[in-house]
Amino acid sequence: MITVTISSQSQPLSFPKINTVLQLQQKLDLRVNDALIIRDGELLTPDRRLHDGDHVTVRLVTSRG
Amino acid sequence: MASGSTENTHSVSRVSPCEGSGGIMPPAAGGSSPPAPTPFTPDKVPMKCKRCGALAAVKLPSHHAGFCPECFEVFFKRQVETAVRRHAMIQPGEKVLVAVSGGKDSLALMRVLSELGHDVEGLHVHLGIPDSSDPVCAKTEAYFRDNGFPLHVLRMEDVGLAIPAVKAAVRRPICAVCGKIKRHYFNRFAYENGFAALATGHNLDDEVARLFANVLRWDAAYLGGQGPVLPAEGRFVRKIKPLYRVTEFETAAYCFFKGIDHWKAGCPYSGGASFTGHKKLFADLEDRSPGQKVAFYEAFLDRGRPHFAAPNQEGGETLAPCQTCGYPSSSEICGVCRIRAQVEAKAASE
Repeated sequence: MITVTISSQSQPLSFPKINTVLQLQQKLDLRVNDALIIRDGELLTPDRRLHDGDHVTVRLVTSRG
Repeated sequence: MASGSTENTHSVSRVSPCEGSGGIMPPAAGGSSPPAPTPFTPDKVPMKCKRCGALAAVKLPSHHAGFCPECFEVFFKRQVETAVRRHAMIQPGEKVLVAVSGGKDSLALMRVLSELGHDVEGLHVHLGIPDSSDPVCAKTEAYFRDNGFPLHVLRMEDVGLAIPAVKAAVRRPICAVCGKIKRHYFNRFAYENGFAALATGHNLDDEVARLFANVLRWDAAYLGGQGPVLPAEGRFVRKIKPLYRVTEFETAAYCFFKGIDHWKAGCPYSGGASFTGHKKLFADLEDRSPGQKVAFYEAFLDRGRPHFAAPNQEGGETLAPCQTCGYPSSSEICGVCRIRAQVEAKAASE
């Protein structure tokens, strides 16, 4: 299970069958450079693998005024 | 790296032919000969840094590159350095005022210009919005204090233009009015305090979205004036946009790597940032064809803008000093002084 916290939402999401950052981005309807994908204080490129138990933060980069 | 991660960043393992093709092979003609071998499909090796070969932390399709944190910072600084040099934004010894909102772009701009050796100071305009302006200002002041950067804070309440009062007094969209007030005071402060240039944190996404909006209207006056540098004229100081070659993603990544703790929430009065729809359109284009954004903007600067740059373009305005504040205006009384009069009238009527 991958736990995902999105910067604009208060409730974390859980995804049981996601293997890579790219799959997560597609699941969240995000393009490659729409958000910073952060795990354990490290930025991840789309090809990086995610593992069961990972906690990932998705920080959207578009200014909100 | 995640605890317990099994990701192998260097070795390349191979999978069996059947695993690599999904495991099902079509029956061969005749039924007896062995299936044709499927090419080996190695597990993917995580992206490497284009400069040093270390594990990449960012992928930049528009540059056909990935970078590790250290090399990304070099890349980012070079992009800004190139922008400053190519457009002669800052001359040696000049003092530059950075317009600081407290968001990622302005804090990154302050940091990178300082690291490039420029003489920079920040100006934060405190808008007076409840539950927003105070924490933004406090966070901005803390960032400047921690980094030893000089910061000036101008409170709109002190000049009779606290944004809640303005919002109550005017009928126009508050974001447009607030933008006009901020531009006026950023320029005024720079002019009155001897700064040669005013730097803003507009990035490539901002500039492309604005260019696209101007093109949709074929607004000749705005197209003629759009660019990373607006020269000084009269009481207008030079306006520069040193981040125009980097994207929002790149600025956000720079802030992440540098540990810049910027303000992330939007303005409570804003329904969303300017040109958000246009940014999404261009993000789709960029996703399908990386490099489109920078190509569109640089080609405009190189080949499009000269056609709109002639003086007295249709829609261009003749400016004269405002009779109240003396700053350039297209009418007798400038927009900011008219807004202040509206606020005062509203207060007097209550």
